[in-house]
Amino acid sequence: MAVLADTTVLLGKELRTEFRSRELLTTTVVFILVVVVLFSFTFDPSAGESRRFGPGLLWLSFLFAASLMLQPCFLREQNNDTLSALRLSVRDPFSIFLAKLSANTLFLLLTEVLMLPVFAILYNVHILGVFLQLVLVLFLGSLGVAIPGTAFSAISAQARMRELMLPLLLLPLLTPVLIASTEATRALLDANPVLRADWLGFLAGFDVVFLTALWLFGEYLLEE
Amino acid sequence: MKNLDSVLAAYLAGWAIFFVYYISVAQRLSTLREEVERLKALLTKGR
Amino acid sequence: MKSSFKAAILFVLIAVTGYLAFYYAPIERSMGVIQKIFYLHISCAFSAFVAFGTCFYANLRYVFTREAKSDWLGVSAAEVGLAFITVVLVTGPIWAHPVWGIWWTWDARLTLTFVLGLLYLSYLLLRSMIEEPDKRALFSALFGIFAFLDVPLVYFSIRWWRTQHPQPVILGGPGSGLEPRMRVSYLLMWGALTGVLILLVSARYRLEALRASVEDLRREAEVR
Repeated sequence: MAVLADTTVLLGKELRTEFRSRELLTTTVVFILVVVVLFSFTFDPSAGESRRFGPGLLWLSFLFAASLMLQPCFLREQNNDTLSALRLSVRDPFSIFLAKLSANTLFLLLTEVLMLPVFAILYNVHILGVFLQLVLVLFLGSLGVAIPGTAFSAISAQARMRELMLPLLLLPLLTPVLIASTEATRALLDANPVLRADWLGFLAGFDVVFLTALWLFGEYLLEE
Repeated sequence: MKNLDSVLAAYLAGWAIFFVYYISVAQRLSTLREEVERLKALLTKGR
Repeated sequence: MKSSFKAAILFVLIAVTGYLAFYYAPIERSMGVIQKIFYLHISCAFSAFVAFGTCFYANLRYVFTREAKSDWLGVSAAEVGLAFITVVLVTGPIWAHPVWGIWWTWDARLTLTFVLGLLYLSYLLLRSMIEEPDKRALFSALFGIFAFLDVPLVYFSIRWWRTQHPQPVILGGPGSGLEPRMRVSYLLMWGALTGVLILLVSARYRLEALRASVEDLRREAEVR
């Protein structure tokens, strides 16, 4: 339970830092907005086409936005030289990751939920009836992005060209998340919406696999 | 014997890739060997 | 054994397997002579998986033992595995074009091979972006572990995603129901390619070991 107590404290710190400036959230929202608008020029966004391509472009924009948003996660600690202090302050280094990935999931989910109505209006899809189910898909998908994303942000912080390295490391690995969330979203935006339990289960499985890997190898990621 | 040219092209391309890779490793190896010689000479001279 | 002698043995082996594939093995009834690409193609795919498995083993070993040797094995196996994947990705379309009429299709196996190649390309890129040897070894090993865990997830997600699509007819794979002469050809080809794999990995390993000693010498020269 020590892990959870430490995690709560650290999560509070992460949230306070972000909500004081809201830098990350605003830039990510604007980034997704830009991508969603630009995508509309690449195909004819009629209702039928939107149902076919909309979910994919939505998740692609989330993935790109996430790979930018996760950049400062560990870089900030490194720049301010606070990583070793952070490590000394907790009993289990896993709680650092748990706090950071919870914060990242929350930020991602928040921006996604904000963008959802905009997307629905611009692309003519109905989300009101399936809003809660959509949030569930968004949550499992964002968790799947945030778990390896947080881990790789610790890796890319050590490399040159880190702004390019993080998307390069993260995006191919997220292939399963992209497929599963896109399919689940597409089924929900269909004319006869269905909640695809198989894809949700797959997403949950992905989250569990990488959370376990992070739990096993997290302490090595914090070595300097 | 339809498509025999495709088969030959595939085998040729396959073995060529391995060959080129091996050559590239051998080349990098010889550059490094020269570097080792140079550094060793440098170190013994300085002693 | 001198490496040129080993290379000579391999050359003979390759000539023998070439003879077997072209003359000894019968011509496949429905596909004709084009099926002979499979001997190389499937065996290469197999060897690539062996290489990436070796890389995973080396990565795990490095994280727990911190021996530089494991790091050298990891990078060697990854790079050689990528060479094998390249052969798979080149010979595949050459087969597909006359048979399917297209060079590429986003089928589960094809896509998995592609994503696998991208993951290990990122692994090698990450290595080139971290200067300090210990850091490079540790962080690339951790990325390698995450990447390998992703492989089954990528495979299953793509397979479920593509269930409606017809599976390509792949007769073969060294399984039962195979013509005995074909099986012999497959096994020998795989044996020869395993020889190539070992030769290339050991050459690459020697290169990495030499690079490490050059780095040591350089540091020594700088201290003076």
